[in-house]
Amino acid sequence: MNDETTKLSRRDFFKTGTVLAGGVALATASLIPYDGLLFASEAPGAKGKWYGIGIDINKCIGCGKCANACKIENNVPRDPFYFRSWVEQYTIKNDGAILVESPNGGIDGFKQAAPTADIYKSFFVPKMCNHCAKSPCTQVCPVGATFETEEGIVLVDEEYCIGCRYCVQACPYGCRYIHPEKGTVDKCTLCFHRLKKGLQPACFEICPTEARIFGDLNDPHSKINYFLKNHTCMVVKPHLNTGSKLFYNALSPEVR
Amino acid sequence: MPQHIKRLIGVFAVFILFFLVLQQVLKPDSFGELGHFRAKAIYENSLRPMHYTVADSCTKCHKDIRIDKDLGFHIKLKCEVCHGPALAHSLYAGNFKDKELPDSLTLYKPGERKDCAICHELNAARIKIQFDTLNTTMVHQIDVLTHHPFDPKTKVPFKCIECHNPHQP
Ligand code: HEC
Ligand code: HEC
Ligand code: HEC
Ligand code: HEC
Repeated sequence: MNDETTKLSRRDFFKTGTVLAGGVALATASLIPYDGLLFASEAPGAKGKWYGIGIDINKCIGCGKCANACKIENNVPRDPFYFRSWVEQYTIKNDGAILVESPNGGIDGFKQAAPTADIYKSFFVPKMCNHCAKSPCTQVCPVGATFETEEGIVLVDEEYCIGCRYCVQACPYGCRYIHPEKGTVDKCTLCFHRLKKGLQPACFEICPTEARIFGDLNDPHSKINYFLKNHTCMVVKPHLNTGSKLFYNALSPEVR
Repeated sequence: MPQHIKRLIGVFAVFILFFLVLQQVLKPDSFGELGHFRAKAIYENSLRPMHYTVADSCTKCHKDIRIDKDLGFHIKLKCEVCHGPALAHSLYAGNFKDKELPDSLTLYKPGERKDCAICHELNAARIKIQFDTLNTTMVHQIDVLTHHPFDPKTKVPFKCIECHNPHQP
């Protein structure tokens, strides 16, 4: 190596050192710290609608009609591996063992997992796309075929998707799958075609116990804001900081 | 400036120009209008066909059943929960008054025991306590195997709807 380039005068060292340190300090100051409440109140800088979902685990009776309605409404293949929306049965036994099952997504109903005497608690958890505000799945797409709309809905561009499966891996909630016939990725669109006609998504329309609530987080009088105010709600995997907009009431820490 | 740097700059300029032209040709229209995606995809997503309709649309023609249902325990159940997607039915069934409905418009009539069991089968995960004082939800559960399984005299299996009116249980 050349001697001249490695030798640094004291003056030069301080000069570059100060510039570097100042640059780093400026850059970190311009980052906005994550605010957990941000996404429950309003969209970051957006006007108009900002959709959020609430699910009341205390009310779910596990009929699986939402999973069924979702498949019919969106032409999801009937095979038991493709789901946009499904229900899981959690059973926590007295000895601490956790059983999770979802036979055919709950469409054919559930059987109790253990004899009643062994069960400490048991509940149903309906699952679907969380429509994250900072979706990991949209960030990994190499071609820009999946994106968030202004209303906070994560959509897929079927024409443009190349079926590379990156987003299937990236979703921490397992809400994406590759459509066997189209070869492109498919996911919950919050029934975008119904929303645009002013209707509720099919799973919300069908729920017999009103365990699913859906609405505009920007509207202070909407059902979802009423739900959030009156219940202690939680998102799944909050440590991942996905900005999830699916809020569960009475969510147990076992749910993953 | 040395000769080779000048040549390099020229080569780079050609490459970059070529790339820009290629990008313009290959980029689909409406890409990048709202972000790193095709803005038209939003519109395309909203064009998918519907299968389910809304709860109130049945009332127009089946008013009596709606009134029955709203007086009973099944008040919160939408018609389509039991009968399946009914958008086509609610649009076109009016043309078939007092006639056989064509196959495409007939709806599923869930009269079997398993159809009711999906919601009423005994299961520890179903809610039995009233959590919410504003809206009570607890579904009454029965053991499908022992709850009136068959006629005690003739031993013919019972259907739930022989004793319970599904619209007003
Ligand atoms: C435009 C009027 C109309 C609307 C709206 C309508 N129906 Fe019907 N429905 C009919 C007619 C006509 C028949 C067939 C004649 C009959 O049996 O009364 C029928 C029959 C039925 C049957 C019996 C089918 C059979 O095989 O016997 C069911 C179940 C039913 N309707 C459910 C619904 C539901 C659920 C909705 C709401 C989504 C609905 N209908 C909306 C007109 C309507
Ligand atoms: C608990 C599930 C359930 C719900 C909710 C329900 N139905 Fe039914 N419905 C049934 C069953 C089961 C039958 C078959 C009855 C029979 O075969 O006698 C039926 C039959 C019918 C029929 C055929 C006419 C008859 O009496 O045989 C019509 C029409 C109908 N339902 C309309 C409706 C409408 C409109 C609603 C919503 C207001 C509704 N149903 C809600 C379960 C349901
Ligand atoms: C989609 C879920 C669902 C289906 C399917 C269903 N029910 Fe229900 N049923 C309910 C709910 C929710 C209630 C109201 C809560 C309650 O009182 O148990 C209810 C209430 C009842 C009650 C009143 C219980 C009481 O005494 O308070 C009876 C009886 C009943 N259903 C019978 C039936 C029969 C018979 C069928 C089959 C035709 C059926 N249900 C299908 C959800 C369902
Ligand atoms: C032989 C007639 C008969 C048949 C068949 C029948 N039930 Fe019942 N059911 C009754 C009577 C009577 C009661 C009220 C007395 C009781 O609680 O046992 C009742 C009560 C109920 C209740 C309310 C229980 C409670 O805790 O208040 C539900 C839910 C119910 N039935 C569902 C069903 C379902 C689902 C089926 C089909 C699998 C069915 N029934 C079949 C006669 C019948």
